[in-house]
Amino acid sequence: MSAGSPEPRQGSDADGPAQSTRSEQPAQPIRVLVVDDHPIWRDAVGRDLEAAGYEIVAAVGLGRQAVRVAGSVRPDVVVLDLQLPDLHGVAVIAGLLEALPQVRVLVLSASGEQQDVLDAVKAGATGYLVKSAATAEFVDAVARVAAGDTVFTPGLAGLVLGEFRRLAASPDAGGSVPRLTTRETEVLRLVAKGLSYRQIADRLSLSHRTVQNHVQNTLGKLRLHNRVELVRYALKHGLDEPGD
Amino acid sequence: MSPRGRPPDPVPVYRNPVVKPARPGPSAYEVPLWRSLAVFRFAAVAFAALVALNESAHFDHPLGAAAILLAMALWTVFTSFEFRRRGGPRGVLLVADLAITCACLLGTRLVVPSDDIAFTVPMVWIAGPVISWAVALGRWAAGCAALVISACSVVVRSGIDLTGVTEAGLLLLAGTATGHLVILTARAEQRVQQAAEAQASARERTRLARGIHDSVLQVLALVERRGAEIGGEAAELGRLAGEQGAALRALVVAEAEAAPEAGGWEDLTGALARAAGAAVSFAAPADPVRLPAPAVAEVAAAVAAALDNVARHVGAEAKAWLLLEDEGDHVVVTVRDEGPGIAPGRLAEAAAGGRLGVASSIRGRIEDLGGAVEISSIPGQGTEIEMRVPRR
Repeated sequence: MSAGSPEPRQGSDADGPAQSTRSEQPAQPIRVLVVDDHPIWRDAVGRDLEAAGYEIVAAVGLGRQAVRVAGSVRPDVVVLDLQLPDLHGVAVIAGLLEALPQVRVLVLSASGEQQDVLDAVKAGATGYLVKSAATAEFVDAVARVAAGDTVFTPGLAGLVLGEFRRLAASPDAGGSVPRLTTRETEVLRLVAKGLSYRQIADRLSLSHRTVQNHVQNTLGKLRLHNRVELVRYALKHGLDEPGD
Repeated sequence: MSPRGRPPDPVPVYRNPVVKPARPGPSAYEVPLWRSLAVFRFAAVAFAALVALNESAHFDHPLGAAAILLAMALWTVFTSFEFRRRGGPRGVLLVADLAITCACLLGTRLVVPSDDIAFTVPMVWIAGPVISWAVALGRWAAGCAALVISACSVVVRSGIDLTGVTEAGLLLLAGTATGHLVILTARAEQRVQQAAEAQASARERTRLARGIHDSVLQVLALVERRGAEIGGEAAELGRLAGEQGAALRALVVAEAEAAPEAGGWEDLTGALARAAGAAVSFAAPADPVRLPAPAVAEVAAAVAAALDNVARHVGAEAKAWLLLEDEGDHVVVTVRDEGPGIAPGRLAEAAAGGRLGVASSIRGRIEDLGGAVEISSIPGQGTEIEMRVPRR
């Protein structure tokens, strides 16, 4: 047991389409790009994923390298360590999504859940896992992210809840500030309290898929707001001025 | 494109930073103060010379007057150099400064006719030692210096008159006010320094946390992972590494967020991270959740009691989840476990029977803060203890 890893158990009972896709089409494995500046981690992650039937299309140690190769190796999923020596994780995610808009990013982080993780999710990552997660949990998370699901830890749910409350309380909280519906808040709170998607579905009498959609929607709202804010920032700071 | 087969890069090693101690010595504000005092004294000598020149016709002994002026000028030059060299006068020099000023003042008795004492040494010059004493020794010493000089003035004037009293009052005011200002400046400087130190230590902590992340945590997580794969004794080693990694992570979070807040308010996040420890999943907002310090202690104690209860009744290895939410006027803390749960009514029964269990200890603490506790248990989904504390 990985003591202290704040992982939800939804991984163990997930029955997303990822597994079925893999079992139906074994000839076309999911293509994964591993980005981590620690070679021991690149090795371990690559080995685990290859053993589970994934194809490691590249393993790099720098953010710029990742953005550069992503266009040519065309991965389905990028497994990304947030702390890289050259680029901030948020910048890497933005670069990856620009190069490959359909790519899914699973963030792996060794430290606890911090503002960095929240920023990564706002920038477009759809999954987050701490590095102490068990191998099975990790492999499963890659499958779910590849299938378009979101992989949340309770800690990340707590951060997202806090972010929506912060936005609602901010002085310029007007029409442009995203808000959670009562249901979405309910679902996020249960995720933050460690319930699996299955347990949440049972408790709220919803389908597993609906719970998943609610979680995904909360991220979508944050991401949209993030983009609006970026555009507003760009306009305010002279978008039309010649840059470097 | 497997990464295997490449020579491994070196794992970054975290090194303890060398922290430079603050350099002791005269405080930064004093040096410019002595410099401006020197300028002031030079200007005062020049003024005294001008006044003397203007009034030279009235002197009994113009040569004596010139001698006193020369002594004043030389002493001013000497003190300016000495003060600058030593970074401010100390002990003997201060006493000498006062004594020579008094001597010059008393000397005017010999050169000015006793029936015409309209002026002596201009007050701006005799104020010099008073201000020196104020800066070096504080307002009380400055007050004493002002009184000594005023006493000499009484001797020179052969009595007490309005000008003498006004002069003494102004000297006292200048001395005590300067002394007080110096104290205020010293305090302000100390505050600035404390703030700078706090900022530096916060930066240091962040750097430390990053260092730990980049080396220790990575390796611990890897040992945990590989250990579990190999199995047997290695699995045990891996489990231990995982526990230590989690403990370290919790420590870094708690340390980073334990910085003291102004006005007796503290961040609940850090306190709960400490109470939660390694084996508990802790979810909280990114921003600090501030409550008055006593409330933070009480809520942390209530959470510790709840977690302790989980460990006791569900098992030491039982998983628990802790959620902290900031609702503006309320702070909500939820502790959840996946034990068998509590049968409906059993808690109420226990309370009614007068058995003071964990529920009453938690309830007592939270209700004393004006809050409310709700305990719910759903079969198959464990038990939740929700504590709502008003922010006031």
